[in-house]
Amino acid sequence: MARLSYPLDNRRFVGMMFLTPALLYILLLVGFPFLLAIAFGFSDVTVGNTDLNFVGFQNYLAVWENDIFRQVFETTIRFTLISQVFILIFANILAVIFTQNFTGKWFARFIFILPWATPVSLAMIGWLWMLDTKYSPIDYLLLQTGFLGPNGILSNNRNLFWLATPDLSQISVIFVQVWRMTPLATVILMAGLSSIPTDILDQAEVDGSRFMRTLLQIKLPLILPIMVIALLFSMITMFGDMTVVYVLTRGGPVDYTRVLGLYSFQVGIEGGNLAQGAAISLFAFPLLLAMAIFMLRTASRAEVQ
Amino acid sequence: MNARMSIVQLSGLKKYFDSVRAVDGVDLAIDQGEFLVILGPSGCGKTTLMRMIAGLEKPTAGHIEIGGEDVTDLPPRKRGVSMVFQSYALYPHMNVFNNIAFPLRAQRRELKFDKRAIRERVESTARVLEIDMLLDRRPRQLSGGQRQRVAIARAMVTQPAVLLLDEPLSNLDAKLRANARDELKDFQRSSNITAIFVTHDQIEAMGLGDRIVVMSEGKIQQIGSPQSIYDDPANEFVATFLGSPSMNILSADRFRFGFRPEHFLPKTLHDNPENSRIFHYFVKRVEYLGSDRLVYGYVHGHDNDLTLAKVPSNVRVSLDIESDYEFAVHNRDIKFFDNVSGQRIEQQSLAQAK
Repeated sequence: MARLSYPLDNRRFVGMMFLTPALLYILLLVGFPFLLAIAFGFSDVTVGNTDLNFVGFQNYLAVWENDIFRQVFETTIRFTLISQVFILIFANILAVIFTQNFTGKWFARFIFILPWATPVSLAMIGWLWMLDTKYSPIDYLLLQTGFLGPNGILSNNRNLFWLATPDLSQISVIFVQVWRMTPLATVILMAGLSSIPTDILDQAEVDGSRFMRTLLQIKLPLILPIMVIALLFSMITMFGDMTVVYVLTRGGPVDYTRVLGLYSFQVGIEGGNLAQGAAISLFAFPLLLAMAIFMLRTASRAEVQ
Repeated sequence: MNARMSIVQLSGLKKYFDSVRAVDGVDLAIDQGEFLVILGPSGCGKTTLMRMIAGLEKPTAGHIEIGGEDVTDLPPRKRGVSMVFQSYALYPHMNVFNNIAFPLRAQRRELKFDKRAIRERVESTARVLEIDMLLDRRPRQLSGGQRQRVAIARAMVTQPAVLLLDEPLSNLDAKLRANARDELKDFQRSSNITAIFVTHDQIEAMGLGDRIVVMSEGKIQQIGSPQSIYDDPANEFVATFLGSPSMNILSADRFRFGFRPEHFLPKTLHDNPENSRIFHYFVKRVEYLGSDRLVYGYVHGHDNDLTLAKVPSNVRVSLDIESDYEFAVHNRDIKFFDNVSGQRIEQQSLAQAK
């Protein structure tokens, strides 16, 4: 057959056309900053002096020997792991509820997706007020119901200081993260649940399986690969997040809620030490990479059809 | 009263989806040990009917009795039925053993099966269906035919009163299908289970069914043995739905009449033409199909109704195209239908009216 001369009939050309936008996006907005961060991490660049002088692993060694960094690193991992447990539990329960038939399902789904659709900083300002040391509406309700105030069950104080005590500030941050990330995981799990062929579920019903057996032995195993993907998404997002703590606590009280993203920002941008800020954020990279590889392998191995 | 006990009894069964009348008033009694085929074109309500028997669909009106008990409002697990889906719906993450064991485990309380009894029952069922060497495999490692056997084993393992089959052969290739049909019939005979089999394939229906229920537009058109449905159709729908090529239908003044292509033969081939009706037939085209010649043409006076004749190849009559012949149909092979309702009319009543 004669070679066609129309460019749109050329598979290579069309292929490149479809790939170019994605490639440009990755190269310019992901690849370039990433390489720049690596370059910064091995240099002595600061906001004041932008010359790139190679200093080897000096920044990484300095960061690793820094006690604050170690605590920040540990806090980040702890926050991420604890919130993932709750996100998975809630997302599974909600996904099962939202794939049932009930009146007002559409509205319930809409309301529920809002935390994820709201810009993070805006939502955090809302939470800042909810968790305010003096004017928290939660405290007010607890006060009215006798849980707070003189002879209160929880405390004699009129406030719980949600963002100001070591324990409560950590619980608050984890809670807000769970609130923010659960919708995405739920939506992914819902997609997974509704992709299960109805024949399989009908078959389970005719076979005599009740709700819990169908859920635990049919539905959950079948959406396991999708669950791993949802977990990976929310873990990576959360591991690198700084907005929540930046708005709510600035890492305080002391260092109790300081996480990697925030610390890197504070050292690199606010403190002006770009090199060390880059080195701090790059510590997360090998960990996330290993995690992603492990989880994607698990997902593809669990793939059943 | 029938000597056999009817195991499934449907009365006044209806299912409407909004304005669509999927099943529109079905009365049906199915005998113990019978192989009943529900046949109809897609969208005729046959699958909805089966899903109502299974308990997957709640009837809009009517009653379902299984084994003498009204099960209309009972969930599937309390009905003593099991089902094989068109897709087989094997649980992809479980091996064959766990697939077959699933109904036993799910109904453990009702069936009172312990672990060892489950293992024994699964193994014996697998042996019957000759899949006992596949118990450790996953569904995706099985061929189409093996999957079908696993699905049947899973449906049979609880020894249900009624086995429902929703086009279970349509995913097999043509060669396997004839074989599977044969095995399914043997299996049903030997286990003496009541089977309700839904299909749109008339060859499957004719080959498998003790009785066939022909459905269209949510209603039963006719119930009967394969032969009675073919030879003695109740109305024009049944007459034209069964048979390939389908029955020729010609219009007269106050009625329509039809005859099957294989009964429409050159006059010289009829033994006693006085019992036959003669037609002047213009041959337009002849297809040679090996065992038969399929003739396309027009009967004189019916120039708008393409009329087919199926002439066996072994009769030596020459049929030239663009030529006129005298063809004939035996009187008993001509069926008359009401112009409006499409219902069968007896020839005598037609003669009296004249």
